[in-house]
Amino acid sequence: MSESILVFIALNAIFAYSFYAVLVAGQLSLGQAGFAALGGFTAAALAPAPSDLGELPALLVGIVIGMVVGALAAVVLGLPTMHLRGVFLAIATLGFAEAVRILLINAEWTGGANGMSVPKVVTPAIAWTCLALVAYWFWRQGPTSYGRALAAIREDELAARAMGVDVGRHRLSAFVTAGAVAGLYGVLWAYYVRLLAPEDFSFTTAIDGLVMAVVGGSTVWIGPLLGAAFMTSVPEILRAVGVEAGWIRPFISSALLLVVIIFLPGGLASLLPRLRVKAPAGAMEDERPVDRGSSRKLVGPGEPVVRVSGGSKDYGGVHAVRDVDLTVASGEVVGLIGPNGAGKTTLVNLISGLVPPSSGSFDVLGTTPGRTAVHKVAQAGVSRTFQHSKLFPRLSALENVLVGAHVVSRPTFLRRLVWLPGARRDEARVVAHAARCLDRVGLADRSGEDAGSLSYGDQRRLEIARALAAEPSLLILDEPAAGMNHVEAGALSELIGSLAAEGLTILLIEHNVGMVMRTCDRIVVLNFGEVIAAGTPEEIIEDPAVVEAYLGGDAPPPGHESEEVR
Amino acid sequence: MNRTITSLALTSALALTLTACGSDDGGDTGADAGGAATGGEAGGLVGTGTGDDCTIEESVPVGAALSLTGAAASYGESQQKGLELAAEKLGEKDGVTYDLTIEDDGTDPRQGITVFEQFTQDRSVIIGPTLSNGAFQAQPIAQEAGVPVVAISNTAEGITAQGDHIFRVSLTEAQVIPQTVEVSTEEFGLEKVVVMYSNDDAFTESGYDVFASALEDQGLEVLDTLTFSKADTDFRALLTEAKAADADAIVVSGLIEAAIPLVTQARELGIEVPIIGGNGFNNPKLMSDAGEAAEGVVVGAAWNSASEGELNTAFLADFEEKYGHQPDQFAAQAYTGLMVIDEAVRAACSGEPDAIKEGLGGVQDVETVLGTLSINDDRDAEHPAVVQVVEGGAFTPLN
Repeated sequence: MSESILVFIALNAIFAYSFYAVLVAGQLSLGQAGFAALGGFTAAALAPAPSDLGELPALLVGIVIGMVVGALAAVVLGLPTMHLRGVFLAIATLGFAEAVRILLINAEWTGGANGMSVPKVVTPAIAWTCLALVAYWFWRQGPTSYGRALAAIREDELAARAMGVDVGRHRLSAFVTAGAVAGLYGVLWAYYVRLLAPEDFSFTTAIDGLVMAVVGGSTVWIGPLLGAAFMTSVPEILRAVGVEAGWIRPFISSALLLVVIIFLPGGLASLLPRLRVKAPAGAMEDERPVDRGSSRKLVGPGEPVVRVSGGSKDYGGVHAVRDVDLTVASGEVVGLIGPNGAGKTTLVNLISGLVPPSSGSFDVLGTTPGRTAVHKVAQAGVSRTFQHSKLFPRLSALENVLVGAHVVSRPTFLRRLVWLPGARRDEARVVAHAARCLDRVGLADRSGEDAGSLSYGDQRRLEIARALAAEPSLLILDEPAAGMNHVEAGALSELIGSLAAEGLTILLIEHNVGMVMRTCDRIVVLNFGEVIAAGTPEEIIEDPAVVEAYLGGDAPPPGHESEEVR
Repeated sequence: MNRTITSLALTSALALTLTACGSDDGGDTGADAGGAATGGEAGGLVGTGTGDDCTIEESVPVGAALSLTGAAASYGESQQKGLELAAEKLGEKDGVTYDLTIEDDGTDPRQGITVFEQFTQDRSVIIGPTLSNGAFQAQPIAQEAGVPVVAISNTAEGITAQGDHIFRVSLTEAQVIPQTVEVSTEEFGLEKVVVMYSNDDAFTESGYDVFASALEDQGLEVLDTLTFSKADTDFRALLTEAKAADADAIVVSGLIEAAIPLVTQARELGIEVPIIGGNGFNNPKLMSDAGEAAEGVVVGAAWNSASEGELNTAFLADFEEKYGHQPDQFAAQAYTGLMVIDEAVRAACSGEPDAIKEGLGGVQDVETVLGTLSINDDRDAEHPAVVQVVEGGAFTPLN
């Protein structure tokens, strides 16, 4: 292999990593070409000449300048665009990259379209050293709470938020990482190709980087390297095997690309065996508690955890929740029942902060949901499941639960980078904790399977395990038994009972009235957004308003004859 | 089923990798053999005799890195045709044969650099690349390896200043524009002109600089200098101003995208004086898109199909016969590039890189399709530029 191919594989891989950095968090950005251009041009203009300082020191100064400029550009672009999603973010960042290119073409100091001449300093050894450092960074990033939080945001942003992940901060930091890595690419490119021209950072460059990251595998750290090696060597291989120069070569390259994407949707990296976080044997015996976070307000038994007064939520003319008063005391198990459309899910969304109330005052564990960000409410100790499972489908069951433990695990990424033993200990502790939570719901033997491949009932239980992993002060279960068969529902009922017996505060929405009657201390009945009854299970069964709401008046109240009024 | 497909994909990926390693090894061995040959063993590339009598046993390896795909593909294809025709013509001559390898750089600096690097291992001389920016990125590799380069389409300043192994047969803007100004001044009796240029494009801005100094040298009065953006499409306001200045001609440095609306609107506004354009105007699209309005536009070029001369007539006929259409300037320059290399090889009757380099430096008054061509001390080509005027929908030489 010639020198230039080696260098370009490394350079392309570094550029692909700048796409990987945001793709792992589910962000599609095309602005990396702009970061690279800014980094490369600034470094080439400001760094001392290699003849004055020596080649390597000059390059190192350039790299520092380029990475800082790239990261700063990412902050500047990221702050106004972080609320954009999917293709909108892609277009916004593409606009940025084009603006940068136009700016550089028209600036005096860049030499305009004719470019800037830069001494060649980069050798294959330098390029591969830089690549190794970048790849190392992302390798260490993967199995940390930071890396898992990014993956969770990619898989399901709302669920990640509800698990206490500060989505905005994580997305921005992923974006800044992308900016720094792209800046590094820009500098290395500048110091290798001799002539730095704005057209080297055009739309096609950005697409190349994106394609390499995706073809390699955008969820596995080795992916960008594989993608870059593949995409860089295909033209060389075609040349070497004697395919005639001309249109046939890009045609074959594109066809190969198509084949890879069709047959390997996970990218080339899916050919490699996937390493999963495993719960080590005996991990569950590791009884050291996880760190519950010092910011969390402790609630004594009997003190109110949730206080809602006059809570309302309107959607246009529809009053989903109307003037609801609700108090949940610590250690209580409160059931929330009512016919379909009664506003139960809206009420728990209000309590967990997912939707802001139209009026009324909400106090949950010292936070004000609706005004306090969702992840802050979660960090205060509110953990929940969703009516329709919101798991992270491409993460394993154990990884799902590990994301649930986000608010009670200590950040380990920076310590992992330098192999501090404390990081490994902390990770092991969280894994053991997660394994216990899985075991608790009876999924210990499924820990390595993708959440998306689990059966429906198992997915519901996994969601409960994920919520438990946050060591919640308030656990909200939104129809946990929906879709379960009789046996599964029975086991779940036992599980909730045992959780309640441990003194956990639970707010339970359930249609399985039998389960509610057995497990709840108090039941609140909603109909058309209003509380129509509240009291002990015995009082509720006898309440005529409840009977009316459920069965239209004549029939006996729920729970008397059937365990499963659905 | 899924498993089968996965293993199929895996197998083919493996096969590709293996092929890659295999052919890479093969390539290296080939390069070594080539290296031994250039060392001069067993006759090799050093021949006997000189000039037309020169006989070299082995084929002289020539590499051409052209943009056959990507943004500059239309230029690269013309160049490829010109080179292939030249190789064919040279093959008919006795004594020296050429092993011409044309490679695609995909208008991508990465591939350009890689191709040049590979060529330096087993080629005696390299032609290309197509674009000037690519040239600055790739040609230093040949310079460092001691392999001479012949640039066939680069017009930027500083190409040959990169090193003593870099030559070119293409004229620079600075060579064409002064002649354009000189010939037009004589032809139309110009005394005062208005200059317009787009100031946000490096190419047109450097073109303006050359125009400005040429106008000064020729003693022409510049009544007004108007600037526009390369993205502009409406020039009526500027043209009204230019018309009011009552100049003998309007000099424009702009890209073809600006040239077409500018020329059309000028004629609409009743400006009948000649419009003199830079290299951006040297494009058949000017006639096809601007139509009638393009009549009377003066453009400087390195080559014109209607240029007189036996060689050019033969070239036109041969090209037409081989490809079924007329060549353009890129094909003519590429054709000339290989012909000049032949001249250099025969001078010392050697296909060694060093000998070709010396030979290229000594090219004087060679008859080519571009006219009588010499390589000057700066390793740039010197030959008469063609000043052409659009007449009857075609570029016609003025000089």
